[in-house]
Amino acid sequence: MWDEYLFPASLDEALEMLEAHGGEARIIAGGTDLVLQSQRGQCSAKVMVDITRIPGLDYIEERDGLIYIGAQVTHGQVAASPLIRSRAGVLAQGCGSVGGPQIRNVGTLVGNVVNALPAADGAIALFALDAEVEVAERAGRHWTPIATLYAGVGLCTVDPCAAMITQLRFRALGKGEAGAFERLAKRRALVLPILNAAAIVGLKGNKVERARIAIGPVAQTPFVAAEAAEALVGRTPDEDRISRVAQLAAQAAQPRDSLLRGSAEYRKVMAGVLVRRALWRAVEAASLQEGEDANS
Amino acid sequence: MSNRVVGQSVPKIDAATKVRGQRKFPQDFNMKGQLYAKVVWSEYPHARVLKIDVSPAEALPGVVAILTSKDVPVNEYGINIVDQPVLVGEGEKVRWLGDRIAIVIGESEKIAQEARQLVRVEYEPLPVVSDPREAMKPGAPLIHEERGDSNILKHVKIRKGDIEKGFAEADVVIEKYYLTPHVEHAYMQPEAGVGYIDEKGRVTVIAAAQWSHDDLHQISHMLDLPLDQVREIVPAIGGAFGGREDMYIQHLLALCAYCVRRPVKMVFDREESIRNTGKRHPYYMKYRTGATRDGKLTAVEIELISDAGGYASTSIPVLNNAASFAAGPYVVPHAKVDAYTVYTNNAVTMAMRGFGSTQPAFAYEMQMNKLAEALGVDPVELRMKNLLEDGSIALTGNPMPKGVGIKETLRQAALGAGWREEGDQWIKPDLGTPSAPYRRRGIGVACGYKNVGYSFGFDDKSKVIVELALDESGEVARALVKLGASDQGMGAHTALAQIAAEALGIDYEKVRVALVDTSVVPNGGSCSASRHVYMSGNAIIRACQEAVRKRQEALRTGERRVSVEYEYHGRSVRPTTPYDDENGMCDPHISYGYTSQIALVEVDVETGQTEVLKFLAAQDVGKAINPEMVKGQAGGGVHMGLGYALTEEFIQKEGLVKTRRFSEYHIPTVADMPREFIPFIVEVPDPTGPFGAKGVGEMTTLPTAPAIISAIHDAVGVWIDNLPATAEKVWWKMREKAGMA
Repeated sequence: MWDEYLFPASLDEALEMLEAHGGEARIIAGGTDLVLQSQRGQCSAKVMVDITRIPGLDYIEERDGLIYIGAQVTHGQVAASPLIRSRAGVLAQGCGSVGGPQIRNVGTLVGNVVNALPAADGAIALFALDAEVEVAERAGRHWTPIATLYAGVGLCTVDPCAAMITQLRFRALGKGEAGAFERLAKRRALVLPILNAAAIVGLKGNKVERARIAIGPVAQTPFVAAEAAEALVGRTPDEDRISRVAQLAAQAAQPRDSLLRGSAEYRKVMAGVLVRRALWRAVEAASLQEGEDANS
Repeated sequence: MSNRVVGQSVPKIDAATKVRGQRKFPQDFNMKGQLYAKVVWSEYPHARVLKIDVSPAEALPGVVAILTSKDVPVNEYGINIVDQPVLVGEGEKVRWLGDRIAIVIGESEKIAQEARQLVRVEYEPLPVVSDPREAMKPGAPLIHEERGDSNILKHVKIRKGDIEKGFAEADVVIEKYYLTPHVEHAYMQPEAGVGYIDEKGRVTVIAAAQWSHDDLHQISHMLDLPLDQVREIVPAIGGAFGGREDMYIQHLLALCAYCVRRPVKMVFDREESIRNTGKRHPYYMKYRTGATRDGKLTAVEIELISDAGGYASTSIPVLNNAASFAAGPYVVPHAKVDAYTVYTNNAVTMAMRGFGSTQPAFAYEMQMNKLAEALGVDPVELRMKNLLEDGSIALTGNPMPKGVGIKETLRQAALGAGWREEGDQWIKPDLGTPSAPYRRRGIGVACGYKNVGYSFGFDDKSKVIVELALDESGEVARALVKLGASDQGMGAHTALAQIAAEALGIDYEKVRVALVDTSVVPNGGSCSASRHVYMSGNAIIRACQEAVRKRQEALRTGERRVSVEYEYHGRSVRPTTPYDDENGMCDPHISYGYTSQIALVEVDVETGQTEVLKFLAAQDVGKAINPEMVKGQAGGGVHMGLGYALTEEFIQKEGLVKTRRFSEYHIPTVADMPREFIPFIVEVPDPTGPFGAKGVGEMTTLPTAPAIISAIHDAVGVWIDNLPATAEKVWWKMREKAGMA
């Protein structure tokens, strides 16, 4: 466990604290994973820098067509947010699947990203939304695509002992666009997924204009099935086409045999099932949206 | 007779103090000057310990003592067979992961924790035996060389009627092999407690226990102390389910206190509790069942093999029970049963809700549902033709005692689920439309029955003291019931207080049940076998009747206190007998509870996932002392059965545990429970029970898994014969059926 627990009053102070402890301190927010890791001796940090009392990191807001989510925002808040539910429903569904109510009320979406696990429900939805992440270091802040953060299972390129993620952003889904999240697990709550999948579809007329598919955990990092999604663009999203695209996604996915999650063969087939269901629900929701003003 | 207190859903006697957080559980106790202890566990499931080096640990400042086998006066224990070392010494063997090498005692928990990692143990690994069927074979590596040349602990034989004749009469024969897995008890409160020397010099343990008076015998043997020099106090218990019938921490706390003469606290974390304590027995079951064309059972041939793990625990009594229930609650004229329990290097297996009646219930009910399918008969109808009634001859040749309510439980559950009864015919309900095009609905039925009280000639008894305090006018101001009956959380003390209030004719609020402290309360027997309402209830009624008589005397003499002691013996009303060595005939059990359950499920045909939509559970309890608590037992039993059926997998590889956390061992959450749960309380009295009551604690788990698994078959046409029916397992079976695998 840690020796010291600090509450910075500002972002700058948080970064100063990290620097002052030269790699011995790290950022903590919800702590739902970090506290366990610390108890089990899997986290060597001696000092915890708790960012939950810094003013101005608790927003979910839309500016110029982009949705911004601050570092303090919990899965529960994302899942319940009317803005997210109407303009990025896939993320509300993903965040609503994390852990159980207690974990969702404490754990943050940014924390879900920092953990860099290929199965994280919130992160899978963010990959489908093609999100960007703002990283704050002593040198300054910059935006980077979410994929650049993932270096392997549990390996985040942002060093939590030297920097922090301040916020996330992605384009709000508009007219003719919708997403859906699917999950298969050993029970209905408090369990890591056997597989999860998120899909986004943008329709124009009866053709797909834009599609994006993310699947976890079928690789070292959240997997974006880009070729499969490409095979949907410009096409009419009928049952046949969606099944074929889902097959392509499943073929590209590389799940492994896992004692707790199941056999590779089962999981590969299931990747196809989940992607097909997610795409189908996304298409249905997008068709409904298309006729309406998406902002209403 | 109308009852004032019995039959009312009064609040649990400890509900308010538990909700307020005032009631102390074992880990809440702390004593002045207390030390902390940690166990050095075995690292191998089967190995010889070559060398134990405690010196690096001893050198750590703050370490007070490190106990090894040399410190244990009599280094052996065991609830049924004394085959377990308390601590395994140099030259001796570890036989499973839960074996202990040493106990480290330090000034703080942190020091004890650090020091235990410094104890160096050298092992010589031995061949691991992880399948009881392999362990049975001649030449298999022996787990207990000192116990003869076989790993088989016990073989039970039952020969009823003429098995050849029975199968010759059968028009249909179903032959199948079933496997039920290890199950973790998963009580909320991991093992914890304090050991100390009390003011009278007695070695005292505060811990959760199911039968503290039996723990005392084992502890006094281990410490070579007279019984009156040891003491156990049982505070509030955070669940047990059979898992605290054996000692897992009680004797260790006693040993610590005995050796260091200071209070010592020990708490297992969840991983220790899952890795190193007992489990439900896995059973490997071969069933061959014959019936006539019109659905009458003619014969059953059964082989049961149970995995005892590294030590015997109660594997033999569990096997005895399993064999006696192996044919289910049905009249079967011809039967042959061979049941074995076998040592392996897997987790020790022990009592768990059902005590051997749960595993065969899966097999015999699966057989009935397969038979119904083969005969083209409704599963309710098939059962109605064969279920036991008062006086029916059971598998062991005994007539069933009065109060057999199994048909009534099935009738109520089936009608509740929408079955129609037309003469002798039962017609299955329409199941409605599935919630998605890729989902299919199915419904499944199962029955079960379970003994109440200890069996096979055991002198099951409960001793109780009832004390009355009279007010000025001679009315009963307070009644105190003293007995060594642990309340594991299910409400035993509440039910017993209700029985006392009723028998005394006073308000429930005036009755207190004493804390279990072996220096104060008499031996009430084990808190297991669903027995306290029946055994201790009977003792309390009689003690109270005597107290009422004595009060009349006191009114004349002006005495303000009345005290009565009474010991009730089950055999005074229903003597039981052990198995006959040759044919197994006997009168095995004192009393019985009966249950039927029905599950409505939806199965996802693409993923294999099952959702239980609706569940009906009917239990014949004779008389519901507290109806809300009976419903609570039904809900809890079904929850446990649902985990057995669908989600719980305790994974071991060559004796090593792979699921050591609740994030890996998946008990069902509230979200996994049926959306609709309908309990039925059936009251077919047992004339020997208190107010007609039997017992309810265990039987509610029995039919859950076979009901759900049969519903899965009804939905998608595949039988899952080895639990649990995970999504992947159902998916593979569906593929196999479709000819794709």
